[in-house]
Amino acid sequence: MIATPNLINRVVSGITTWARVNSPWIIHFNSGSCNGCDIEILATLTPYYDIERFGIKLKGSPRHADVLVCTGPVTRQARDRLLRIYEQMPEPKFVVAVGSCGISGGTFAGCYNIVGHIDEVLPVDAYIPGCPPRPEAIIDGVVKLLTHLKNGTRPEPIKPQLGEQA
Amino acid sequence: MNTEARLQRAKEILAPFTKETLTPESNRVDIVIDAADLTQATAALKAADWGYLSAITGLDLGPEAGSLEAIYHFCDAAAVTSLRVRLPREGQPEIASVADQVPVASFYERELSEMLGVIVVGTPDPTHLFLPDDWPEGVFPNRRDFKIEDAAPVERDVPKVPEQGRVGNKFIVPIGPQHPALKEPGHFEFAVDGEIITGARMRLGYVHRGIEKATEQRNWIQNLYLLERICGICSHTHTSAYAQGAEKLAQVEVPMRALAIRELVAGLERIHSHLLWLGVVAHEAGFDTLFMYSWRDRETVMNLLEELTGNRVNYSISVLGGVKQDIGPEQSKSIHKAMDYLEERIRYYLDVVTSDAMFLQRTRGIGTMTRDEAILYGALGPTARASGLERDVRVDAPYGAYGKFPVSLITDERGDLEAKFVVRLKELLVSCFTIRTIVDNLPAGELAVRFPRKVPAGETVSRVEAPRGEAFYFIKSEGGESPTRIKIRTPSLCNWTSVINKAVGHQLADMPMMISGMDPCFSCNDRMVTVRRKDDSQTMTWAQLRAYGIEKYKSR
Repeated sequence: MIATPNLINRVVSGITTWARVNSPWIIHFNSGSCNGCDIEILATLTPYYDIERFGIKLKGSPRHADVLVCTGPVTRQARDRLLRIYEQMPEPKFVVAVGSCGISGGTFAGCYNIVGHIDEVLPVDAYIPGCPPRPEAIIDGVVKLLTHLKNGTRPEPIKPQLGEQA
Repeated sequence: MNTEARLQRAKEILAPFTKETLTPESNRVDIVIDAADLTQATAALKAADWGYLSAITGLDLGPEAGSLEAIYHFCDAAAVTSLRVRLPREGQPEIASVADQVPVASFYERELSEMLGVIVVGTPDPTHLFLPDDWPEGVFPNRRDFKIEDAAPVERDVPKVPEQGRVGNKFIVPIGPQHPALKEPGHFEFAVDGEIITGARMRLGYVHRGIEKATEQRNWIQNLYLLERICGICSHTHTSAYAQGAEKLAQVEVPMRALAIRELVAGLERIHSHLLWLGVVAHEAGFDTLFMYSWRDRETVMNLLEELTGNRVNYSISVLGGVKQDIGPEQSKSIHKAMDYLEERIRYYLDVVTSDAMFLQRTRGIGTMTRDEAILYGALGPTARASGLERDVRVDAPYGAYGKFPVSLITDERGDLEAKFVVRLKELLVSCFTIRTIVDNLPAGELAVRFPRKVPAGETVSRVEAPRGEAFYFIKSEGGESPTRIKIRTPSLCNWTSVINKAVGHQLADMPMMISGMDPCFSCNDRMVTVRRKDDSQTMTWAQLRAYGIEKYKSR
């Protein structure tokens, strides 16, 4: 068999997908959250829930990350920083919004220092609802994202239906 | 000395400045003074060693009354003395700074000036405290007539870009807001000479959401759920403090069983918070085994909280007038079982942090704060107690069920990082003991009583000991369905002063440990702090930094 450029591309992209699905590295940024979601994200990384069995590792630098996990509504002061972190991540990149505040502004909707929810600032690929979501829910959301990556598709996020805002 | 004697003494000390004396509650005295006398009155209290400055509340009495009020709350055990200074609402309301006497006041003053528009003369740094960089001039969110439309972002004049990241022989190391060592956003700039820190400044406010203002637009019951979300780690502290204040105002007598359950959940919250802290600090020290161990054991208490309340993080156990869930024999059994396991593990951790030679090199003698420094910087909670300062609201001013189920005070004289570990872990053993006592002796009775929709007019101060120190709430009602003003001062804010001041002279590598050592909670304080030092650097705004980055890239 003669290796054609087409075949090489297919093989390379197959290896890339395999690597990406088996070791998605995440970076976490809190853009105005109450910490509730953040400690639950951290809890999923520790032995009890152990999200590392999916190859997921929390990284310190946006340059190493495939997935940006955001929590909280976006405050005016944090907005530029959130955008900057997103810009620094290499392509292809995915954004997961964790918690009610990230999805809709939650209990802080309408406060004077809030720009809005995360998808008003960044394109979001997966929403994980809850205040805060249980670690099981976070694992479920991330694994659903991985399934899409495996199929080579970008997920079409289903935004949770919002109830009436107080 | 009891509370009456303390208040009497405060009245005597302040007699030369007093215009009017009010006694709104049995443990409080409000002294109305002239703005001109403020510094002298503060000096008099300080000279007599009467308590510490706990918070400054800025109050807008509305356009009709035409005046603002700055209230300086001093706390000494259960006694609270408030200096009330009346200022005109129009024109240039001015007040003198007390930051040279009480360093921690500089944060409160900056908050006062930007949130209420009071000009604090002589405060070390009059710039924005925790509002964003693009906030318009002359708009003050805590004024009654503030409208969100007025706060639209504006371009602001910004200081000059410094020559590279270098000032003389010093180099500026920026850390944050996103940084592996910080799980929450905060920004620090350390001026370093080699490895040694010579100056430090920090900027918070990345998670400032404007909760104090939001409470005024929600009713008493909605606020319970809003305030719970100030902080996901000490959520119960905030609901307890708020519920306690609202119940005092509404003159609702909460059943003892409910108070005991609140204390029990507060104990569990302390365990989860301190174990979380232990893990995070161990992680900063590169001791990831301890991080994983302590977080694994923390799940025991998380499961227990879920069993008791239905939630892992925002438990929502308190309602106004009592609690939601009861503790039955089945729950008591699981509590005892969990405590057996946790006590054994906590003893093991206590052994590890005091005997592991590698770990001790990172903690022993690092960031030592003496008792006098702790008093000067206004440290609170375990940070203060690790320096031998006996300051704990649960002991000094027992609230809720703490009179019936007391806790013992844990202190350590050494004041370094190791002492902070020892104090926190010993506190956990105390918490385990208290939890067992409460479960075995739970008073009989109702879980909750009816809470009125409207709360009678009045003002109250509610203080609760959070895992990180004293949380201070000032609540004012005008008889409506919503509070008129809620002022919240969280313990992390006070403790920042000590860390930033102690940073100088330490190695840069020790900073993550020292910052984590006070257990900072950014979402709680969401404020900005700057400590100015000689040969300080300048701060770049985001726009400047971006322009500078592009310029630098092009000129390569």
